Amino acid sequence: MTRSVRGSTALAGAVVASIAAASSTFGAWHVPGTCQAPICGAWRAQAATQSAEPPAILISRQLAARTHLSTGDLVTLGSDPKGTRRASFRIAGIYEPTPDPMRFTATRLEARLHLPDLVDLVADPADPASRDAVTAINVRLVDAADATSFASDLAARTPGTTARLASRSRDDDPFAVLDRFHVAISAVTMAGGTAFLLALMVIRAEERRETVGILRLLGISRRTLLLSVAIEGVAIAALGAVFGILLAFATEGLVNRIFQARYDTALVFVRVTPSIALRSVLIAAPLGIVAGIAASWTLLRRDVLSIVRR
Amino acid sequence: MSALHLAWRTVRRYRAQTILAIAGVAVIGALLFDMLLLSRGLLLSFADLLEHAGYDVRIVGGGGMTLRMPIPDSAAIADAVRRLPETETVVLVRILPARLAAPGGKSSASVALIGVSGAAAGAWTIVRGVDLDRASGDACPVILGRSLAARVGVGPGDHVRINAEQVGVSSALPAITCRIVGVGQFAFGGAGDDTVATTLDALHRASGEDRVGDADLILVASRPAAGSAAAVAAIQRARPGLAVYSNDEVVEQFNRNGFAYFRQISLVLSSLTMVFAFLLVATLLTVSVNQRLGEIAALRAIGIGRSRIAAMLLWESALLVGVGGLLALPLGELLALGLDRILRQMPALPEQLHFFVFEPRALVIHIAVLVVTAVAAAAYPMWITARMPIAATLRREVVG
Repeated sequence: MTRSVRGSTALAGAVVASIAAASSTFGAWHVPGTCQAPICGAWRAQAATQSAEPPAILISRQLAARTHLSTGDLVTLGSDPKGTRRASFRIAGIYEPTPDPMRFTATRLEARLHLPDLVDLVADPADPASRDAVTAINVRLVDAADATSFASDLAARTPGTTARLASRSRDDDPFAVLDRFHVAISAVTMAGGTAFLLALMVIRAEERRETVGILRLLGISRRTLLLSVAIEGVAIAALGAVFGILLAFATEGLVNRIFQARYDTALVFVRVTPSIALRSVLIAAPLGIVAGIAASWTLLRRDVLSIVRR
Repeated sequence: MSALHLAWRTVRRYRAQTILAIAGVAVIGALLFDMLLLSRGLLLSFADLLEHAGYDVRIVGGGGMTLRMPIPDSAAIADAVRRLPETETVVLVRILPARLAAPGGKSSASVALIGVSGAAAGAWTIVRGVDLDRASGDACPVILGRSLAARVGVGPGDHVRINAEQVGVSSALPAITCRIVGVGQFAFGGAGDDTVATTLDALHRASGEDRVGDADLILVASRPAAGSAAAVAAIQRARPGLAVYSNDEVVEQFNRNGFAYFRQISLVLSSLTMVFAFLLVATLLTVSVNQRLGEIAALRAIGIGRSRIAAMLLWESALLVGVGGLLALPLGELLALGLDRILRQMPALPEQLHFFVFEPRALVIHIAVLVVTAVAAAAYPMWITARMPIAATLRREVVG
């Protein structure tokens, strides 16, 4: 839906800040292989000069690929499907859209043009006020900490406008929810892995039953044996964690390439950071100790003669 | 003694490791089961919501299904669609942002005001009070979302003041007084539902517009004898160029765009969990077989054939994976409840939408994958025992 802020010039003057205004609408491309694309215009101090040369626009890489267009080509943009209101533009460049995690499944068929050119294209001739309407006004505050008070102040002064913070709180951020989901999945995987580790350690302890019995007969204490098992558990868990991290590092590029190709985006899907690697080792090490000690305790708590089966 | 009996005796003898292995398979299996539920859960839930709304065809504006734009000349289109023999019910829907104030100005809220032509059966469920079509005589009957009614502290019979706002237009129009005829749960309403439904006439009055605005959406119920595909074709024939979608097409569109992430994450995670389960069961069986080489050689020496030993190992694997896989089903259901609760915290998500939805297909795939895992995990230990030299192994056991 096209939303507009009318009287935007006055409003923009009122906020007195470094402002970039943007307006968006839908455009129909009248070139071979016609397609629909959202187009947006950005206000600049030096707007496109009036000359015989068609105004310049930028198009997204995806749109260029879809329509086989390149820099220097002339295209016609229309603000309605029938093309009754249209204008010619020259493609000045092709850009890579900023990766947006909220829209990574969308095909980014987009064009950017100077705001006056867009207004000329979409403004309703019967409604002079429509020339002074934009979708949104982006404001960078001198002090970002004032954002909430600025938003409420603006809403009070200009009824009908909605001032929203550009940053999301943890409560309304879908990625915070996904983060919690991934943590929960990791916890379940760890629980399954721990059960298996414990089973393996039980088998290992049983395998070394006679060795443990002889060591006990030689006078080595339970505590020393448990300590050695704990060290072994830490070593196995740490080695496993390091192997896992190396595997994650090695496959990171592959996973990113697959998803980037699938969604035609520059978005990074997987990134193994030092903090994630450290967290993995810190979780794995205590689990290794617990699994090792728990498995060995079932053997070590027995009487030494029963361990050597006498 | 059959291979199954031998396997049963073995798993009973190594009780601790058997219990731990089953627990591990159960947890990993639960995760696999959940990923299978997730792969199509959102889609099934969304399709279910659409079906329950009672309309199987949707006409939208130029922005398609994702961007809500008014449909030019919507009233005439609705009349034309109503006359088609393939259609049964046609409802116009218009949505405007509005401000709702409780009596005495005690509290107020920004709401989504939905105007419908007639009671949009299925789009909401009345929890208290009555529906719009039973509120004859009221100039502005409204139905409030459950959580909004609780938040503002009003109920059926109370009056509220509503001021509809054209987006981005400053308005000094006085608010109109409306009577709450019912409190409902909106099919596509979120947890903090801020939806208010009223008639199209009341919405028009609240907006203060000089002419009735175009609808954002036209809902159509096709005649059962015709079906949605025939209704879509008939509407497109009558009004070429209209954006008309059947429920199946809407679901398919969302499947391609909106839900791809969860389908892919479930594919990646279910593949990883199965590789994980295979590696761990195979390792456990291999270590266990290595520990029992002497015992297995003795069994071979007293005349038990290779195939029976192989079958015994296969049964051991099947018992571990089978019992673990069975336990994974209730465990997976419990886990799915927890994971669903986490994902449903997504902002602006319809309250009735679920990410994990059971379907028989998920159970069939779960069983098939576990069977493959059990067979694959037993393959290497079976190979070890099949080529084991009996005499040399027994001698090594005795000397060792």
